[in-house]
Amino acid sequence: MNAALARGLGGGVLLLVLWEAVVRLAAIPPWILPPPSGIVATTWSARGPLLDAGAMTLFEAVTGYGIGAVLGLVLAMLLALATPVRKLVLPMVVVVNSVPVAAYAPLALLWFGTGALSKVVMVAFIVGFTVFLNALDGLLRVDPAAVALLRSFGAGPLGVLWRLRLPTALPAIMVGMRVSTVRSMIVAIVTEMLGSQKGLGWTIFEAVLQIDFLRVWAAILVASLISLGCFAAVSALERRVVFWR
Amino acid sequence: MTDAADQLDQLLTVGEAPAARAKLQLNGVSRRFGAVQALAKVDLGIAEGEFVTLIGPSGCGKSTLFNIVAGLLEADTGGEVLLDGAATSLLGKVAFMPQRDLLLPWRNVLDNAILAAEVEGRPKRAARETARAMAADFGLKGFEDHYPQQLSGGMRQRVALMRTFMFDRDLMLLDEPFGALDALTRAMMQRWLLDIWSRYRRTILFITHDIDEAIFLGDRVVVMSARPGSIKLERRVELPRPRDPALLTTPAFNAIKRELLDAVEEESMKTFAAGAA
Repeated sequence: MNAALARGLGGGVLLLVLWEAVVRLAAIPPWILPPPSGIVATTWSARGPLLDAGAMTLFEAVTGYGIGAVLGLVLAMLLALATPVRKLVLPMVVVVNSVPVAAYAPLALLWFGTGALSKVVMVAFIVGFTVFLNALDGLLRVDPAAVALLRSFGAGPLGVLWRLRLPTALPAIMVGMRVSTVRSMIVAIVTEMLGSQKGLGWTIFEAVLQIDFLRVWAAILVASLISLGCFAAVSALERRVVFWR
Repeated sequence: MTDAADQLDQLLTVGEAPAARAKLQLNGVSRRFGAVQALAKVDLGIAEGEFVTLIGPSGCGKSTLFNIVAGLLEADTGGEVLLDGAATSLLGKVAFMPQRDLLLPWRNVLDNAILAAEVEGRPKRAARETARAMAADFGLKGFEDHYPQQLSGGMRQRVALMRTFMFDRDLMLLDEPFGALDALTRAMMQRWLLDIWSRYRRTILFITHDIDEAIFLGDRVVVMSARPGSIKLERRVELPRPRDPALLTTPAFNAIKRELLDAVEEESMKTFAAGAA
């Protein structure tokens, strides 16, 4: 275990101990802030439904993430090749992207229903934009001298894309994919809160209506753990793919 | 000739009888960028197997000339660029090495060396075998699997040169390949390049700022004028080969150097005056 990880874990444990102590000593009522021990106990006793809800949300997030990442990357590569189209399309993309995602959620529910599809579409939308913008930036930020070198070897636009632009853009693409992991969970949960019968977002919404704040916290705990797991997986992938940095 | 060079020639050379004819011929090549006349009627011929070095004041249009010969830039109409006597597109026909090594950090030494071969569609495995056999000639034995960021400046430059040699074209364009190296490494690389050149037999056009380097390496030194660039002077270097560093202090070497210095100085002053005006 490295020192940074050890310090991070130590800090986390310290925070939990403090949290527990403050809640108990100040006798804070559980609907304001429950103690960590209570959250863990509730999570354990409600593990069945929470795991089902977590699996649903994870499915939506991962499916949307996969679709969005692939579409974003493919679109970025196409626009990197077609300069005139890019100059036409890019301003519109930036405008659409600057509207907060949650604002589109009711439309997604209207068009795609309250099932998993609307969440998958919303996640794919936000992940797609993030990966697209990062990838395009990376694909265009190549050394012109390196492009000239490949052209002197007889490489065409596709050869330059494959052998130079794509590898050059990998660090930027991976940053976009890392940032997207957390966003995909957020968007899946928020869309669930606005309309669904399943998932962690729905669990949180329902528990709030029932004034069951321990269950709210339990769902948040599960969502955080899933999010952390996805983030760690993509970070590990990033270190493998971008090995030269 | 070494085994590796032999093997490479067998694998790659397109089989053409060498003759003392012009490999590259520039006739009245000009280039204008908006209001700036970068090149004005450049006439230059390079014979097959010849090592020509080119010096000139900074901003004299050397890079423009190089980009035209590499096929990356079109010359203005009126002039002609002939490769083997024919006016064809030069893109993909000249082995071009830019000033910076431009090694790709995600490729190891071998895979950087075979980049051009890969672009040409040669099978990777065969190209890697050729590169592996050449590594010793380029002082890279034992470093085949290293990544560029693990190499010294001199080694990186040798990888870039190996990449250029593996792009098996009769004409090589080297743009100040040793400009960024320290003096000692540079002197070693110059001798090494001559050695490699004598074994792989290529026609070379070599840009440099360094007059000693130009004389030490070249069969002929070409001096460019201040902008708009044209050929101011051509000087044959009749010093015997193989050349060794002791040559740099001989009277014959110094006589050529004085002649070239005068020409370069005159052109540099013009550039300087134009900048001050």
